[in-house]
This record gives sequence, C-alpha cells and structure tokens, in this order.
Amino acid sequence: MNANIVLNPGVKQKDPSRALVIAVSSHAMFELGGELKLHLQKVKQEPEPKSTVKDNEPFREGIAFPFIKAVQQVNKKLLEKNANEMLLFDVILFSNDVSPASQSRVVNSALHYDLEIGRFCFCSDKDFAASLQSNHVKLFLSTDTDEVGKALKEGFPAALLYQQRGQGTTDTLRVLFSGDVLGFSDDMAHFLREQGFSEPQLQSISTAKGAMKEFATVIGEMRRRFGREGSPLCTCLVTVWTPRDACAGALKMLRGWGLEVDEAFCLAGAPQSPILAQIQPHILYDHGLHNARNVPAQC
Amino acid sequence: MSLDPGQDTGTAATITANGDSKGAWEDPKDCYESGATTKKPKPGMMRRARKVEGGIFFPKPENAVTIAVSSRVLFRTEKEQKVFEQRGIEEYLKYQVEHENEPFAPGPAFPFVKALETVNAQLRELYPDSEELFDIVLVTYNHAHVGVRLINTINYHNLFIERFCMTGGSSPIGYLKAYHTNLYLSADSEKVREALEEGIAAATMFMPEKPIAVSETQLRVAFDGDAVLFSDESERIFKAHGLDKFFEHEKEHENKLLDHGPLKGFLESLGKLQKKFYAKGQRLNCPIRTYLVTARSAASSGLRALKTLRAWGLETDEALFLAGAPKGPMLEKIKPHIYFDDQMFHVEGAAERGTIAAHVPYGIAQKYPHQKPVDKKDSSTSK
Repeated sequence: MNANIVLNPGVKQKDPSRALVIAVSSHAMFELGGELKLHLQKVKQEPEPKSTVKDNEPFREGIAFPFIKAVQQVNKKLLEKNANEMLLFDVILFSNDVSPASQSRVVNSALHYDLEIGRFCFCSDKDFAASLQSNHVKLFLSTDTDEVGKALKEGFPAALLYQQRGQGTTDTLRVLFSGDVLGFSDDMAHFLREQGFSEPQLQSISTAKGAMKEFATVIGEMRRRFGREGSPLCTCLVTVWTPRDACAGALKMLRGWGLEVDEAFCLAGAPQSPILAQIQPHILYDHGLHNARNVPAQC
Repeated sequence: MSLDPGQDTGTAATITANGDSKGAWEDPKDCYESGATTKKPKPGMMRRARKVEGGIFFPKPENAVTIAVSSRVLFRTEKEQKVFEQRGIEEYLKYQVEHENEPFAPGPAFPFVKALETVNAQLRELYPDSEELFDIVLVTYNHAHVGVRLINTINYHNLFIERFCMTGGSSPIGYLKAYHTNLYLSADSEKVREALEEGIAAATMFMPEKPIAVSETQLRVAFDGDAVLFSDESERIFKAHGLDKFFEHEKEHENKLLDHGPLKGFLESLGKLQKKFYAKGQRLNCPIRTYLVTARSAASSGLRALKTLRAWGLETDEALFLAGAPKGPMLEKIKPHIYFDDQMFHVEGAAERGTIAAHVPYGIAQKYPHQKPVDKKDSSTSK
C-alpha cells in the first residue's frame, strides 16, 4: 500500500480504539484551487506545474469548516466534563494527491487555521478503501456525492458533508440520519417501490441499515454525555419516502442502539431541499438517498 | 387551559373495551362519531390506506392548502405540560416515553382536522388526480422522544397525518415556511405571533370546557371581520375615538376597500376549494361552509365589509352582522369547527358556550383589550 500518513504535530493524538474516527476529504476541508484540482485529475506521475502561489500559503477555507469547528466544540465540551474522556471525535484528512508540495501545503493549512485534525492520509485512489480500514475510520465524509457514492459501493460508511448556508453553525454539531434507511422493513419496501426505487436500490438500503449501526451507536453514547438542552451535539432523523410508521420504527431502533434523537421530520414525499435548508445538518447520513437516481425528482 | 380532572388516571383508563376513546370530554356525545370509525381501530394496527388510483398520494406543499397544527392543540396534553412545568424537561421526556403506548385524547383542533379529512375524501373522489387538497402537518417544539407516542396516537385515531416536524426546541417558523403553510394553529401565543409577523396566518386555540358537537359531514369555519379578514384600521378608529367616530369613518370610506387582514388568504384558499365542489354541481350541499360573524351592523358599517369582500372576489356563505350584540349565541347556532377572532374577550366568551374559538393576536386590540361594559344597556362597547 502506498499511503503516506502524516501526524499533525499541533494536535494531541487520540486513541483510535476509543475515539470516533471520521475521515474527511481534503477537497471538503479546503478550497484546493483550480490549478491543483486540475493537477489531481491527471496521472500523479507528471511533474508539478509551475505554481503562481507560494507553496506554503494556506488554502482558503472549504465547506467543511463549520463542521470541523463544531466538532472541536463537541470535543471541548466533552473534555470539560471529563478531562480523561477518550470518546472524542478524531478527524483525519484524506487526500488522493501524493505530490510532496501539495502534502506540505495541506498540513500547513491545517496548522495555520489551528484545525483539530489528528492525521493526514495521502493515498492513491486504489489504496483508498484499505487506508480507511487501517485507520479505523467509522465514517467517511465528503461534499462530493460521487465520492460518497463510491465509498458506499465499496461497503464503507460514508455520508455527505452538507453545505450550510452563510457562515454555518459552529457551536453545535448537527448529525442527520435517514429514517427511510433506519426504518426500512419489508412493509416499507412496498412504499419505496411505488415511488420508483429499483430492487437493487432496495437491497442496498436494506444493508445500509446495518452499516449505520456502529456510527449511530457511538454518536448515541456521545450524545448521552450531555443533557437534553444545551448539548453541542444535536441529532436529527429525516424520513422522506416512507410513511410515519417507518419513522416510528427508526426512532425505536435508534433508541435500542442507545441514541435518542433530538429532532425528527417526516416529509411524506415533500421536496427535501427547503426542509434540509432549515435543518442545516453538518453530516447528512442517508446512504445517498437524497440524490437517488431514477426516482421522481423531489428537489 | 384548565386541567381536566378526567385525565388523572391517564387516557388509558378512559378508553372503552372496543377501543373507542371517550377522550377527556365529560359529555360522551363527542365531537366525532361515538363509534370512532366503523373499523374500530386497535392501537397501532389498522391504518386506512390513502390510495388514489393505485398509489399512496402525497400532495406537494405548494399545491395543497397546508394546515400546520401543534401537538398541544391536536391532542390534549395538559397532564404532560404540568410534568414539564413542574419537573423539567428530562422528567417530562421520561414520562412521555413511559406512557408511549397511551394515545393522547383529542384536543381543540381535532374536530377541525377530522373535518378537513372529510373534505379531502370528497375532493379525491371528484378530482382523483388533483393535488389541491388539505395537507395537515404536525409541527411541534417537542423533542423526538415524544415522536413515538405522537405517531401511536395518530395511528390510534386513524388520522391522515404523514408529515411532521419535531423541532426539539428550535423555532418552527422556518419549517412553516418550507411547507408553504396556509394556516398555523398552536397553543402558544408567542409562536403564533411570530408566525403572523412572518406573514403566515396563525391563531392560538383554546379547549372549550364543554365543547358542543360539530358536524361530521361539513367543515364550518367562522371568521370575525376586523383585524382577522380585514386590517385593524377601523378597530383603531373605534378604540381611539369611540363608536360614533367609527360609524362616521366607515360611512365616509364606504367605497374605499379595507386593507386585508391575516386570515384573508385562508378564506381565499377555502373559497378555491369550494369552487371545485360548485363545478361538480355541489353548491347546495358543499362540504365547506364559511361564515362572517362581525359586530358591524348590516345597515351601515357592514356595507364596507361586504364591498371589500366582493372586490377581493371572496364571499362567505353566511354573513352575520350583530351590530354589537354578543357573538356567543350566534356561534352556538353555527357550530363552527373553528372560529377566528382577534379579541380574547370574544374568544373566551365563545369558548364558555362550547364553541371552539381561536385567537388571532393581531392589531390594536392586543394593546388595548376589550373593557367589559359598565352599563349593561351600552352594548356599543363590544365590537
């Protein structure tokens, strides 16, 4: 495996067996810039293009900034309650650009903004899944739906980093789970079929339920460290295509896993975008459903 | 809202053997069929399938007339409210979860919602492909903990509510907008005020002590005129300068349209649906009926109100000009599923006589509420 792991000297390393490791795509964390994006699309062996920007100049803030700030807030509050807390968020940055100049620029950008990113993993596409595995990643996040879809196809828990409006919420981390996935059952499959979901899609949703369990359980444990009000971690359940009984089923299932969600929404086929724009989650964990193909356009 | 003693043992105790809920209303002649439905729903089991031509049908919010109701007006939750107020949120949520399988009893908005469903059933028969229906959304500040109990309750009462927002303490206003809400009903006047400020028709509902039975076949909605359908401009004149000045002003401006009030849009939506029934020859037995109940007098100040409605292309099926007489007896005759008024005095008066009344906290009456008349003969102080 050809992966380069770089530890962030500015951040105290967490115990990956106890922490909740989340991998974030570097495209989401920083504005990598046109020239670099183009570079990434080509074969990595080519010589680096002449950069007009100084190598160590930090990248601009990316869409994931509100997310990382909110994560830092949760960690801070967890440690305030218990200085020896081991159940913390451990964010690592994944990048498929292996050129040394870009690597150091990414690391320096993280240092510049004082981001709580524990490690940087620079690996090629083919080593992606193996790297996620070896780093004990519980969830992969990206703003790119295709990237998320790819990870899901390889059987890896992945979710969308939702683009928040304006500055974005930074004092509370908002995590959204799909009620269509978690509330999925044979009865509910029939509603999904009626709305145009294919058999392979239904099969994929059915397995996604199990895949969500680990992450949901850990989030549940973290959530329980705080009271119902004033928590820096807020969880939501959104059911779009299945009826209220799916939502009830999902709520009970999550409760069984130790997660009592704060907010719940049932859309019954109403367009999602306006509702999501109100909810403003950071993490949208719905197995790519909001972007499902061959389903009558809802947004 | 008064605490009903019938709720002491929880709703479970008041549910009879065949599954009917006697609710917490003293009078067994409930507002809905005493046999609940012919299917006698068992908790959590049978669900009426909402099918149209081979599929579950969810209207798009912008095409439907969206009514958002809070859990406290759709159901009776006084007991739980008390737990929250006295013991705090953690205890309250624990209590809700413990009582999860006990459905709530119907609240003040329940008959209204049932009536909306009746209208929908008929609209679907006449226009199977149309999305111009009532869409009921449950919008509550509650945390999702209460979700299972609310869903169990909806199942128990066989309501067609598939859309809801449990905001876990955040403001529901943004969600009201996202759902293109045409009317928001809540028990909390602050939230109602907020909604009105955002241009959403809204009203605070109150549970009458002894609600009178309402029709199961026809939706009846009654509106006060000033500061509800119309702006509060005339109300202002009356409050500032008295009745004579009010009459003078109205006469002078007889042909000048009144400005619109917060519920004009809702009346308009009802009118649109009514026309769909008329188009199919159902004018005489239309399942929607609207009423204007105003203190204006037919001979004088009422003209301006009528002319305004006409100019807007709106009408109410009945217009009752009380010329200052109390509204209570008239409302008792009408038996509306909901009556909107901007003055708490009238809302309370109506509720005392069993009418389900809703307060629209809009306009000058909120700053200068009605003063009870000193001289009984002087009925002109009531508007």
